[in-house]
Amino acid sequence: MTNNMFFSCLKATELVEKKQIAGLSCKEKLQLGLHKAMCGACKNYERQSLFIDVLLYEREKDHQQPHINPLELQQRIKKRLAK
Amino acid sequence: MTHGKKKAIILQWVEDYTEDLLNWVYQKTSNQVLAEDLTQDTFLAAFQQIDRFRKDSSPKTWLFAILKHKIIDYYRGQFKNPIKGRIEHVRIEGFHPFNADEKWISHNAPVDWESNDQYLLNNPDFLKILGYCMDSLPTKWRAALELKYFTVKKGVDISQELGITASNYWQVIHRAKLQLRNCLETNWFKKRKDNEDDKQHVFFLS
Repeated sequence: MTNNMFFSCLKATELVEKKQIAGLSCKEKLQLGLHKAMCGACKNYERQSLFIDVLLYEREKDHQQPHINPLELQQRIKKRLAK
Repeated sequence: MTHGKKKAIILQWVEDYTEDLLNWVYQKTSNQVLAEDLTQDTFLAAFQQIDRFRKDSSPKTWLFAILKHKIIDYYRGQFKNPIKGRIEHVRIEGFHPFNADEKWISHNAPVDWESNDQYLLNNPDFLKILGYCMDSLPTKWRAALELKYFTVKKGVDISQELGITASNYWQVIHRAKLQLRNCLETNWFKKRKDNEDDKQHVFFLS
């Protein structure tokens, strides 16, 4: 029983991702909670994983402009359509 | 509709919407060449399918819907191509921060970043590092991540689109994030901390 409760950092960090994508079973929740209580690195991992989610979601909203003249592309597309 | 008439309509749309489509897809992909290609593909596809365009809808909305599909198709292709045909079992390899006991190798263990401030995204230096770290990921992993953040779909649906099981999908996301996390920590968070420590050091010396 106790052996079942303590598992590796690989498994713990995998559960962090599983939790966000598919959800965890009660047993898995307990296992992850116990592991995090004893492992600072995995606790950091979870915080960072959530932070990376925010960064990558928000990054799409940044307003960089392409360095191309749309007119140039327009001409190219028109040429392709003419074929 | 005659061929000539169809072409005239599309040419007008190219005139009117190229810039909007291009700017949008560039923001989504941060990839100049890709943005141009997908914009062009959108108009070519629109030309092919123009009979399906309903007159009462807006051309712009319709073109954006096509473009969105093109982006998803692109990432899906990126994900599938490295292992054509056999997509059931994705081999998970590459960066591995754990030892034989599946514990963190000490220099790979996540440290406290002391920041979860999304205003980092306003910092061009950080954006450069983030771009670099995304570029360093294996093509497949990157495609899976991009798809995750591009579509607001639940993970389970994305795994279906990718043709893999749900558990395979979060394993891929897991590996991608392990590497991305490590890259950001090494190239940004640890460096920044070192710089601050150096500054303090100098302060005490002076």
